Amino acid sequence: MLNIFQQQPHPALPEASHDEKSRQEFSKSLRQFVQGQLLPGLAPVFQRQQKKFVDEHGREPKDRREVRKFMVQDPYFQTYASTNRCAQELLWESVLTSIERQQPSLNETAAQLSAKNGAPLVVDPEMEVPRYVTGIDIHCMPGGYAGRAAEDDISTAALYDRGVYLYAMGYVGPMNDDMGRSVCNYVTRNMPDFKPTRILDMGCTVGHSTLPYKEYFPDAEVIGIDVAGPQVQYAHARAGGMGMDVSFQQRDAADTGFEPGSFDLIVSHILLHETSSKAMPAIFKECYRLLKPGGLMIHADLPPFDHSDLFSEFILDNETHYNNEPFWGPMRDMDQIQLAVNAGFDQEQVRFDTAPMAVLEFAAAHAEGYSEEAASEVADRDFEAGEFAPGGGWEVLIGHKQADA
Amino acid sequence: MSGMRRYPKGARPQFYDDPAMDQAMSMIMVLASEVSVLRDRLDTFERLSAAGAGPSREEVEAYEPDEACLNEREAARQEFFQRLYFVANKRAQEVAEADNSQRYQAVLKDTEEN
Repeated sequence: MLNIFQQQPHPALPEASHDEKSRQEFSKSLRQFVQGQLLPGLAPVFQRQQKKFVDEHGREPKDRREVRKFMVQDPYFQTYASTNRCAQELLWESVLTSIERQQPSLNETAAQLSAKNGAPLVVDPEMEVPRYVTGIDIHCMPGGYAGRAAEDDISTAALYDRGVYLYAMGYVGPMNDDMGRSVCNYVTRNMPDFKPTRILDMGCTVGHSTLPYKEYFPDAEVIGIDVAGPQVQYAHARAGGMGMDVSFQQRDAADTGFEPGSFDLIVSHILLHETSSKAMPAIFKECYRLLKPGGLMIHADLPPFDHSDLFSEFILDNETHYNNEPFWGPMRDMDQIQLAVNAGFDQEQVRFDTAPMAVLEFAAAHAEGYSEEAASEVADRDFEAGEFAPGGGWEVLIGHKQADA
Repeated sequence: MSGMRRYPKGARPQFYDDPAMDQAMSMIMVLASEVSVLRDRLDTFERLSAAGAGPSREEVEAYEPDEACLNEREAARQEFFQRLYFVANKRAQEVAEADNSQRYQAVLKDTEEN
């Protein structure tokens, strides 16, 4: 079944010309091909190279680093990895040209849409953006999350909005919000009595996963924070354009400045793997400090490596080496449960679980390109190494703060 | 105004033994993208023509593909990749089937001797 999932337009999103659209579709199709066709061919290549290693050394490779050493020499792997990199570069380039073409009007539109959002926008130009964001441009996006072409310019956020859709090949839904939506479903279905009144989304970027919280908990105050100014500005405009009152604020998740005990629910979506060894424990501590007694912390990201499948581990870790994701691998070596315990959570109140993907709901809602068949295929597929999302659901780390804390 | 950064901060990794091959690979993929773009443009032209007289440039620009069109184009691109990656696909099959040059030589020898 072909995937022709399409992003749903919204007023803040840049428009693409006929050829730009075709280039964007090409980069998405190429990613499909790499994942669906080139990646499966790599498994037997790995087995063969591994056998060679065992013959030479008289033992199995001990970790993914040793696997990398022999795999990078294989011509098939070189073609797989370089194609993946080219796809990533083509993806950003295809979106970048469309944004450059309409940059002044994008900024004007964003300012107008922002005025429609009744919740506050907070931008802090004096804030020092952490080095883990400014060191290299994460996932090779030119300019990175926090880059600005000019004062107040939001181009990099528009680039992210469209680019991440193509990167995820539409698996995260027409509004790029599958992760937030899946966590919302998880909370409402598993904890029907939990009614959060104040919700914080950490590392929200353009608010993809933030907005579902307002939809599922309309009476709650919802705040998205991010270290990158352009992202929160665009997020505020995007929400305004979609008729939603959600606050977006430029703040550091490790040191938010919010009052202690001021949130019932704190969430993050694919944030942790883009932080650092020092920031991640600090974020857990900040979550504990900010939660009301009985409150919930939910981080949706990937769980630690269990070292049972060196091939998958090696493939996933390619992001660290080839896609400017410096913390992708190291994050998965960290004991997240222990980090939560160190932050103050009780051991028995911290666990991993799976939040089923909401992708089938998009097909049910007749979103363009989201056929039942294609969506089922995404939702039911087995985990394949290197996929953006593991099949079936998102891994969530859940911490429940003691009611008597 | 632009001023947008075109290339990401962070050194580009080398995948092949010869860095020239990395450059060539990128150029091939850019060309492949443009071939696909041209094909889509021609496809738009044909679809609009089928509906009446030759379309204007504006009509081509404004064309929004429906799901049937998206499906056909996606299928065409996946087939294009299969052709473009002939050698890589062949290699994957050889490895999966444990086919190699030693086996080839063995067949030559066997054919000559038997």
